Amino acid sequence: MQKVGIVEVTQSSGVESPLSLMEFTYKPVKELLDKVDMRRDEVDMYILAATDVFHSGMSCANAFDWDASGAFMKPASREEGDAITAFVYGCMPIMEGRYDTVLVVGLIKGSENPENDTLTSFVADPFYSRPVGIQETTAAAMQMRLYLQRYGITEEQCAKVVVKNLGNALFNPYAHIKKRVNVDDVLNSERICDPLKAMECAPKSEGVCAMLLASEEKAKKLTDKPVWFKGWGSSMDTFYLGDRDLLDTQLKAAAASAYKMAGVSDPRKEIDVAEICEPYAFQELLWCEQLGFCAQGQGGKLIDSGVTQITGALPVNPSGGVLAMNPYVARGLYRVAEAALQIKGKAGEHQVDGKVNTALAHSTYGFCGQWQGVVILGS
Amino acid sequence: MAEQKEKPRKVAAMGMVPYEMALGPTWTRFFEGFKEKKILGTKCNKCGRVLVPARPFCSRCFEPMEEWVEVAQEGTIVTWSYVNYTYFGVTPDMIPLIGATIKLDGVDCGTGMWTQIGGFDIKDFELVTKKVKVGARVRAVWRRKRQGNFRDIDYWKIIE
Amino acid sequence: MGRAVAVIGTGQTKHGRRDDLSYPDLVREAVKKVFEDAGITPRDVDGVVYGSMPSMMEGVAYNHFYFADALRVVGKPLLRTETCGSTGQSVAHTAIHWVASGMADVILAIASEKENEGDAQATMMTILEPFLQVVIGGAPIAFSLQSREWMGYYHIDDAKAREAASIVSVDSHDGGLANPLAHIRVKLSKEDITNAPIITYPVRFYDVCPISDGACAVIFASEEKAKKICKKPAWVKGIGFRGEEYFIGDSSKAVWQSTIEASKEAYKEAGITNPLKELDVAEVYNPFSYQELMFLECLGLCPPGEAPDYVIKGTFSPGGELPCDPSGGVLCTNPIGAAGLIRVAEAALQVTGKAGEHQVEGAKLALSHAMGGAMQFNGVTILGSEL
Ligand SMILES: [Zn+2]
Repeated sequence: MQKVGIVEVTQSSGVESPLSLMEFTYKPVKELLDKVDMRRDEVDMYILAATDVFHSGMSCANAFDWDASGAFMKPASREEGDAITAFVYGCMPIMEGRYDTVLVVGLIKGSENPENDTLTSFVADPFYSRPVGIQETTAAAMQMRLYLQRYGITEEQCAKVVVKNLGNALFNPYAHIKKRVNVDDVLNSERICDPLKAMECAPKSEGVCAMLLASEEKAKKLTDKPVWFKGWGSSMDTFYLGDRDLLDTQLKAAAASAYKMAGVSDPRKEIDVAEICEPYAFQELLWCEQLGFCAQGQGGKLIDSGVTQITGALPVNPSGGVLAMNPYVARGLYRVAEAALQIKGKAGEHQVDGKVNTALAHSTYGFCGQWQGVVILGS
Repeated sequence: MAEQKEKPRKVAAMGMVPYEMALGPTWTRFFEGFKEKKILGTKCNKCGRVLVPARPFCSRCFEPMEEWVEVAQEGTIVTWSYVNYTYFGVTPDMIPLIGATIKLDGVDCGTGMWTQIGGFDIKDFELVTKKVKVGARVRAVWRRKRQGNFRDIDYWKIIE
Repeated sequence: MGRAVAVIGTGQTKHGRRDDLSYPDLVREAVKKVFEDAGITPRDVDGVVYGSMPSMMEGVAYNHFYFADALRVVGKPLLRTETCGSTGQSVAHTAIHWVASGMADVILAIASEKENEGDAQATMMTILEPFLQVVIGGAPIAFSLQSREWMGYYHIDDAKAREAASIVSVDSHDGGLANPLAHIRVKLSKEDITNAPIITYPVRFYDVCPISDGACAVIFASEEKAKKICKKPAWVKGIGFRGEEYFIGDSSKAVWQSTIEASKEAYKEAGITNPLKELDVAEVYNPFSYQELMFLECLGLCPPGEAPDYVIKGTFSPGGELPCDPSGGVLCTNPIGAAGLIRVAEAALQVTGKAGEHQVEGAKLALSHAMGGAMQFNGVTILGSEL
């Protein structure tokens, strides 16, 4: 099995852009190729991540997105769904020794789309869930209610996640939402889907993230600081919400396989920074539990302790996370990119203190985290 | 399990989803040209190709295509098809229609899909096969009122 | 390259209009069959790759969530790969890379479509953005444009192309009759085809694929596992995938480079230098009989511009040098998202001698192929009976 290195990453801002999707996608891809001084046709393979009609208004997203991704007449494919899967797919042909370089690009232009909830209502099955109004936010609100009640997590503790992440986003030039807020601002924001408040829900952002992966030999030639792919784990839950314990998710299984592959035995000690996908504030606390950063039900205490602050022992979402920037499909690749930048020491103003040897990137989509994926990167 | 008496049913459903899609600077400028009865293309300074519709970048060289050129409104049919059935977006009053890919003079690609052949009785299929051929010459016929979209070219007329 | 990978089982639904089942149950039918065929249980699977056409086809977005139980993926990783019409090939390629990478030993690949539940043509119209290519989309027009471009490019007269396309259609429908799972099962004469109504000239009714519901599942395994589990695996000999520009006129669709390059890559990996001689059977993606003619050339199975001659002399007919689409092909069965994976499954059946009534005697090396996008994408997978 060949080692895979992340050579370089580029990303676009989450703020609404007047560019067409084609122009918008081209920029970070071109910037990435220029940075590594490679021609488009010198890259061995391209993996896109983009989502069909409901998240772009165009079917077969790879058709329109092909040119701007650079994939013309190159071996290529497209992942549908979260872009963290495109990263994992991109690693495979390098691991098998088939190709030396793979360019991965996740893209979406949220400003062109209807509200997230309009779109996620189409994820619900047409017979039972959709007619009663189940979509991502209503499902998340039910999950939050359970979380507050079963473990005594407080609404203040959930609100603290927003304060922390938007605070971090002030130092991330690509973040979409940039404003300093306090716990009261969050608690007083509109209760759109009780107990969820408006400010606890992720926005709808633009976002193109491009990443060049390479075999060990090639990566060392292309950059003096490659970031290595160490482990991956993923797991899927069953569909109907009533069939699951919403607080005991497949993230545990996903993390367990990622840790096993990467040789991580004590995640709380061994992981130096984590970029996790929290489209709803309380989910950051819940996911931290399931990732083994603290015991079950202790997510509230974890944020109170300050451990997950950018200055803490295990910073979580120093980039501002998904609450600050939510390019729905691309967000998983953004997590990997931000984790890689932290290891490279190139995260700029939101670089965490101390050396980062091991970083975790997480993504999830589907109601209450039905699909979960975890990537471990190392220096 | 006991034998099922009822026949499995289907349920009618409809989804409507609105979008606001950015045309972007390149295609905005391209369609501004239509208002003035101009067909604009962009040129790649690396491979020299002129493409219509205008593109922000060359998909092959991957360099920006920043040089604008006005191209000819006459060209040659690369291929065509006689559409005689209805489907989403194509209503009975629209058929038959003749779709075509047209290579405009001085342009390095075929321009397809908003290009319909017309200007004579296309219901007469015999006449169509006589007039419309791969390699036949055509010219754009503009609408009198133009709004800066693909409908501004009414049809492409066969030059005898 | 990496580890050797094999197909150790296939499962297909009965294709056709399946109003009798919900969509998850249709998927379940194929999944149940693949486990029966491979003789393993879902516990033995390390991960699942799923794909279909876009969400607009059946009106459910990310339907892998809804199908989680049917796909037997609960508690396992899932990747969803999609490249439009070529999805089935791309799903197979993801599964192959996954096993070859060493991150998994056994991967279940599934692709499906319940095309009768939505408006397939409407979906295909939305492949084209609403600004520049919108006026006329839809598959029949796009592919008849392509066929006419090919005829014009090689100066093939209408009558000769018509004759060859009719033979393709007759042969495919004969294949469909011999395949109990095929959707369209009728005996057609050349006259039936030439007298059928025009859809988009020169394409007539029987030159066009049907609207089908169907699912296909294929299990891929590493060399070590395959040898342990399966008596007669079908080995992956080579894969290739290429895509062209989005704008339809940007490149020639008569000399279709993405087909040419995708197949060249697969042949190179498989060590094939003369595909017509070395291949025993081909499952060419043929939603339109005219289009198959162009594919035969671009897949390197006959010289450019000469497909009609080869077809007329029977090279690709049953009993010919290289029988094409003995299953009836896409012309008889087209659940779009699944159609590319059905080609892979049919190739596996042929090289393992399990194709039943439509078996090509002694087939050892088979090509499978699919195409998609705005006339953009081509994928090829070659399977063989020997490692
Ligand atoms: Zn160029």
